[in-house]
Amino acid sequence: MRRIGIIALVATATPLAGAAESIPAAEHEFLSRHCAVCHTGDQAQAEVRLDGSEIDWSTRRSTDLWERVHTALESEAMPPEGAVQPSGEARDRMVAWLDSQLMRHSGVGGVVPRRLNREEYANSIRNLFDMPGFALPNSFPSDDSLDGFDNVGEGLVLSPPLMAQFLTLANGIADELLPPDGGPLKVERKLYRIGPSDLGITSGVAHVDGGGFRLLSIRTNASAAGWPTRFEAVHSGVYRIVIHARAHQTDRMFFDRRTEPLQMYLYARHKGEQTYELFDNLRKLKEFEVEPSGETQVLTAEIELMRGETFGIRWADGPAQSDPSNRGMITKLLQDRVKSDRLFYAALLEYGGSPRGAARKEIYEAVTALMRSGKLDLSDPRLDKAPGELGSLPPRAFRGVSHFIYEEMFRLGPALDVLDAEVEGPIRLIEDDIARTRRLRTEKFLEAGPPGASRREHAEAVLREFLPKAFRRPVSEAQLQEYMDLVGRYFDENPESSVKDGLHLAVRRALVSPHFLYRGLRPGHLDDFDLAGRLSYFLTSSPPDERLVALAVEGRLSQPEVLEQETDRLLHGPQSENFVRSFTGQWLGTRLLEGIMPDPRLTKYYQQHRRAMIWETEMFFAEILRENLPIDTFIDAGFSYRNEDSNLFYGGDLEDKEMRRVTFPRGGRQGGILGLASVMMATANGVDTNPILRGVWLLDNVFGMSLPDPPSNIPAIAPDTSGTTLMRDQLAAHRANASCARCHNHIDPIGMVLENFDPIGRWRDHYPIYTKPPDGQETLTEQFYSSVGKGVINGPPVDAVGILADGTRMEDVTDLKRHLLERIDMFSRCLTEKLMVYGTGRPLSYGDGRVADEIVAMTAEQGNGFRDLVVNVVQSEAFNTR
Amino acid sequence: MLNRTDRRNFLRGVGASLALPMLESFAPRSARGAQATGTDRLVCIGTYLGFYQAAFYPQQTGPDYEISPVLNPIERFRDQATIFSGLDHRGRNGHEAWSAWMSGSAAGSVSLDQVVAAQIGDRTRFDSLQLTCGNPPGQARTSFTPEGVALPMIGRPSVLYNTLFSSGDDAARTEYLLASNRSVLDGVTAEARSLERTVTASDRHKLGEYFASLRAVEKRLQKQRLWLDRPVPQVDYPLPEFDPVAHDLSLECESIMYDLMALALTTDSTRVATFTIPGWSQVFTIGGRKLSAGYHGLSHHGNDPGRIVEYNQVGIEHVKRLGAFLDKLATARDAQDRPLLDSTAVVFGSGMGDANTHDNSNLPTVLVGGGFRHGWHHQFQRDAPKPKLLGDLYLTLMQRFGIEAERFAGAESNLNEILV
Repeated sequence: MRRIGIIALVATATPLAGAAESIPAAEHEFLSRHCAVCHTGDQAQAEVRLDGSEIDWSTRRSTDLWERVHTALESEAMPPEGAVQPSGEARDRMVAWLDSQLMRHSGVGGVVPRRLNREEYANSIRNLFDMPGFALPNSFPSDDSLDGFDNVGEGLVLSPPLMAQFLTLANGIADELLPPDGGPLKVERKLYRIGPSDLGITSGVAHVDGGGFRLLSIRTNASAAGWPTRFEAVHSGVYRIVIHARAHQTDRMFFDRRTEPLQMYLYARHKGEQTYELFDNLRKLKEFEVEPSGETQVLTAEIELMRGETFGIRWADGPAQSDPSNRGMITKLLQDRVKSDRLFYAALLEYGGSPRGAARKEIYEAVTALMRSGKLDLSDPRLDKAPGELGSLPPRAFRGVSHFIYEEMFRLGPALDVLDAEVEGPIRLIEDDIARTRRLRTEKFLEAGPPGASRREHAEAVLREFLPKAFRRPVSEAQLQEYMDLVGRYFDENPESSVKDGLHLAVRRALVSPHFLYRGLRPGHLDDFDLAGRLSYFLTSSPPDERLVALAVEGRLSQPEVLEQETDRLLHGPQSENFVRSFTGQWLGTRLLEGIMPDPRLTKYYQQHRRAMIWETEMFFAEILRENLPIDTFIDAGFSYRNEDSNLFYGGDLEDKEMRRVTFPRGGRQGGILGLASVMMATANGVDTNPILRGVWLLDNVFGMSLPDPPSNIPAIAPDTSGTTLMRDQLAAHRANASCARCHNHIDPIGMVLENFDPIGRWRDHYPIYTKPPDGQETLTEQFYSSVGKGVINGPPVDAVGILADGTRMEDVTDLKRHLLERIDMFSRCLTEKLMVYGTGRPLSYGDGRVADEIVAMTAEQGNGFRDLVVNVVQSEAFNTR
Repeated sequence: MLNRTDRRNFLRGVGASLALPMLESFAPRSARGAQATGTDRLVCIGTYLGFYQAAFYPQQTGPDYEISPVLNPIERFRDQATIFSGLDHRGRNGHEAWSAWMSGSAAGSVSLDQVVAAQIGDRTRFDSLQLTCGNPPGQARTSFTPEGVALPMIGRPSVLYNTLFSSGDDAARTEYLLASNRSVLDGVTAEARSLERTVTASDRHKLGEYFASLRAVEKRLQKQRLWLDRPVPQVDYPLPEFDPVAHDLSLECESIMYDLMALALTTDSTRVATFTIPGWSQVFTIGGRKLSAGYHGLSHHGNDPGRIVEYNQVGIEHVKRLGAFLDKLATARDAQDRPLLDSTAVVFGSGMGDANTHDNSNLPTVLVGGGFRHGWHHQFQRDAPKPKLLGDLYLTLMQRFGIEAERFAGAESNLNEILV
């Protein structure tokens, strides 16, 4: 293989070289004799027609086709065995001719201008204006993916609604940066009365009772507080608050009577946001103490609320308060309870556990009715044992216990009653953090203006700094003048206006300018500025920072050692998180996870598990990248990053909330991307697995083989969850069709090998069968909930054997990993291509493909480090050519 | 089914053929009120978490069906309503497929309301309105442009009210921004023109998107500038002091949004509206009783009878609010002194067929008003040789607005023979 240095000499292709060119006589004869025998007419073999006398090189379809012909001839895969073979010399000549034509028509480079995608746009605004909190509105259109990534030039279409959004955002950003001088703010002080039923209730934590809002103290997230639904701060300011509250305790409480004051805390939160945020992450406004006596107390405070915020009332130190330090609290409560209350224990065993979905109240009343019935057998020997020792009893018997305890606390105490609240304000306005940041930002933006300058001079000084930053390259005097004309006209028409108002207009224009919205506007070899942009958006999804710009100004960035240094710097900088997140999100599909909703009742999979999966994937990838580990680590690794939530997928016994690095022997089922729960989940649908999906994913993302789209008239194969038909049999039937077999011989075996991973990435030896209720009595829900998994039984064993087209037999994923390790160059080529597409924003041309081959060879010689691979990509001619 | 490019081209074709002169909107109402078909307005209302099918669909078909429990609150409209069973898009399942409700495929194709808005939107201040309650889940999107872009929705009553009826204290500022947007767009057009001279042919093609988008936006701004001079309608609506956007209050929000949507139609501020009624895990209080589980949990009822009862209670609350909205349309009169409802087609349903199993077949659908032949419960056989699709209903609706479409959302026929 040629060295990468040679590639640099390869000429850049002329884009869109034009219409059909005729095939020279010698080559035409070769094709007629050796290819067109089968590849001819409408019924051409493999739908490849090679019987023409000319080639239209202008389409990607055509260059792709001839590239395949080139590969088939070069690798001697064609003509097939049994057909007349060309002489070695004739074959070489044909291959050389195709190579030269392909290099001419599909040479290195050729991306169209790339519009900033969502993330790049947002990061550009954040960096350009020092607005770290800038976020796109939810309604902002999402980007289409092409060739596997959402930053590919052709895929990044600009549409009218998107343009309208850009214009609206530009106005908003300009308002934020250079707020118009308005009159004094009209502020009206108002009084809000908040009754108990105006406090938002999360069931199980609080309810309205006895004229008050009765609050327990059982959770550590915002759902455990009462949040007024009909109040929010209209202005950032100080509000006076009066709360009437009292402790609720009775003589019949199970818990000891409380003699210390109850800790009642107030927190701030933006109204309308989700309520799962932990209290620790919310701003605490005030700590109150409520006397345990039960006397109603009047508690007053002045609290600072930012615009749009409301306040929440929490009781923070009740006896059943769960927090990370006392996990298993309910279990302990139960143990204490049954030890001290034999009647209760007997009632509980008799009750036998609550049906799922039973209301708290029903459980309580059923159990207390049993306690009052006088029919319980208190001499039952089971009552002498702790619940944990009752082996024969399903844990289900104790389901609903927490509900019982909570309901009892609601009725008998201890609880906190909030009778009502009043808020009045704003009694004075405050310059909140946001307002302060805004003021400082405006001052900084305008500081370029020399003292004593006229509006016009001031504006010009600011624009001279701003425009090159916005456009990521030097701006000509003519360009600057166009903006000054705009501002100047504004000043002429508005003699009383400030420099801010004129610049407001210029900023709006710059933010919808093609020079801002697009990158890569100059064809051919990248200059240092475009290189800085490409490098920076590649590795940080953000515009070039000051250092990159300075190097570009000095013309040094393109020096190979500087480029390598800068690549390293960015890879180790904080913003490379963007690359890690975005690249893994798309290559390994972790972005898809949010849209997959496995039934938590069947899988016990919740949001935190998704987070753990994604973190694991990103941290695993980041270590390989930053430590320059060999790329075979992606296939088989002896480490990963996990936390307690990962136990669900890997069956471990971690107790860490934080992710921690775990190690294990290489060569097993876990380790590497094929053992990642995230990847296995992203290649399923949350409910069942489909070997075809996983097979296609593997071919595309690990083997680097792209397949034609399936014919549209064939229905998709769906797994049969009743367990009567095996996927393996369905697939075999499917492959009996020759036209299906052509692709499915590649897809099915490697997809089957991953069948041991269930839809959320857990290892399984049997397919599950979800049983139907035996009679109408017990509902499916109830069975699903059952902790012994009565509704799910082991179905047929998983047979993950896959036999490749060449006869290689793979028993399970470990064989597949071995198979890939033996073909690490194939994986390297695939990964290189993904990096190149992501970095350059274009599918690989023929010339780019040759560069990719060189990069693979060179990286292999250097030891296949992943960081080295990235550096080689960055230094390649393909990356340096638009 | 059309692939995406075909569909886009097809719809561009539709767009090109319909351009009515802008100034027609200034003609007196009587001159433009009635079209040949008598349908002037389209309202599409969808609930994110669907309905319990057995309580939504009547058991009998034909004209003599007995009203179902969930639809009972609109029984008084049975002569002006048609219930459809068995219609859907034969699309994907799951929450993420909800957004295909009005467009018939996964995100990426134009929705019914936007096809109609392209036809008649020029006549009113707002081409179309997209409403919701609060900030709905990400998959709850109804309206898509021909480019497949999901349109933003207004979720705060006060914002909708101000959008529709407030001339605003900062009218001068609005006017300045609108006017100066023009010089901004002229400026960047010039920048792109000079850029165009230096780039390759394929780049020029790419820049074509930029120019086309600028032109479209400029056209929209032009319309906004024209309407700026016309007084906004005066209405007397007691907007509450706070926006009930807390999830718990979403039924309250729903009522207000319905009221404002009715006002938008009666003041002829728009003739096309969609209303996406969201659902989270909020716990509703209905009839003074707090439900036992969150709305999302109830929708995954697992065939538990207790949960189904409560899920239906929420469904009934939605339909009650629909009924109040229909009452307003039935009372209001159009320029010909006909009830507004007679010329307003209201589609009510969901992009979720069976929330319990995330099944998107058999989407609950009711059509009210619009001057169609009503009074039936039609049940379509899903295994018929050429089964009817929800897109067939959409095609009938489109045709009523003078859109000569023959294919949409995978459907290639229509329901004219039963509705027209």
